[in-house]
Amino acid sequence: MLSAELYANIYLVKRVIQAKYFIDKNFDQAIDLDTICKEACISKFHLIRSFKKLYGVTPYQHLTFLRIKKAKELLQTNLTVSAVCYHLGFDSPTSFSGLFKKIAGKPPVEFQRSKTKKQF
Amino acid sequence: MSSKKLKSCKMRITLTSLLVDDQEKALKFYTEVLGFVKKTEIPLGEHKWLTVVAKEEQDGVELVLEPIAFEPAKVYQQELFKAGIPLTAFNVDSVDKEYERLASMGVIFSMKPTEMGPTKLAVFSDTCGNNIQIFQLL
Repeated sequence: MLSAELYANIYLVKRVIQAKYFIDKNFDQAIDLDTICKEACISKFHLIRSFKKLYGVTPYQHLTFLRIKKAKELLQTNLTVSAVCYHLGFDSPTSFSGLFKKIAGKPPVEFQRSKTKKQF
Repeated sequence: MSSKKLKSCKMRITLTSLLVDDQEKALKFYTEVLGFVKKTEIPLGEHKWLTVVAKEEQDGVELVLEPIAFEPAKVYQQELFKAGIPLTAFNVDSVDKEYERLASMGVIFSMKPTEMGPTKLAVFSDTCGNNIQIFQLL
């Protein structure tokens, strides 16, 4: 006899994959955990717990990772740091810069400068 | 409406169905690759009534490999597939062993064996438009 928890997991896997798909498609929009949960029809508690078990990171970490990865690309174009920040759905340049530095190791301005220098 | 409660008849689940884009291809995959056994095949013009069962439970629930002949259903199937969401799940004794066996036969997995709480699971493409999950209780 299979346990109730096992059956629940079969359902949860579908919802978590759905949540990841939603993040992957909409990471450059102003989405947050509430939006993701609503889209995937899952509670925050279940989403965070199951997402981490399945993908090794929380939904928020995954979202941030995708945004920063895209930001690195955009910072190598003519866009300003603020433009990149708002383009990727961040609330403010301050929070964007903080997260960028945490993940990329240097502030976006510095990153952009170093990349621009290399081009010449 | 009478408030008298009528005795219910026995209602059983003997069939479950899966929409497939090609019945021949599906039969080949579900029998030759997954290891199910063909139970019924009744020609019905363009399509057929086609079911498979688990080898060890041939009198158990039949899986209908149903032709996807309804346009909105195609959209549903394609979107689920694109998102990587499994349509259904099969219980196996060992996800790792099945993964190894199926992968060696060329089956493509979108999720390798992964532990999630009391379960281990993996997701693969059935080549007929569906993602299928296999799971085991740890």
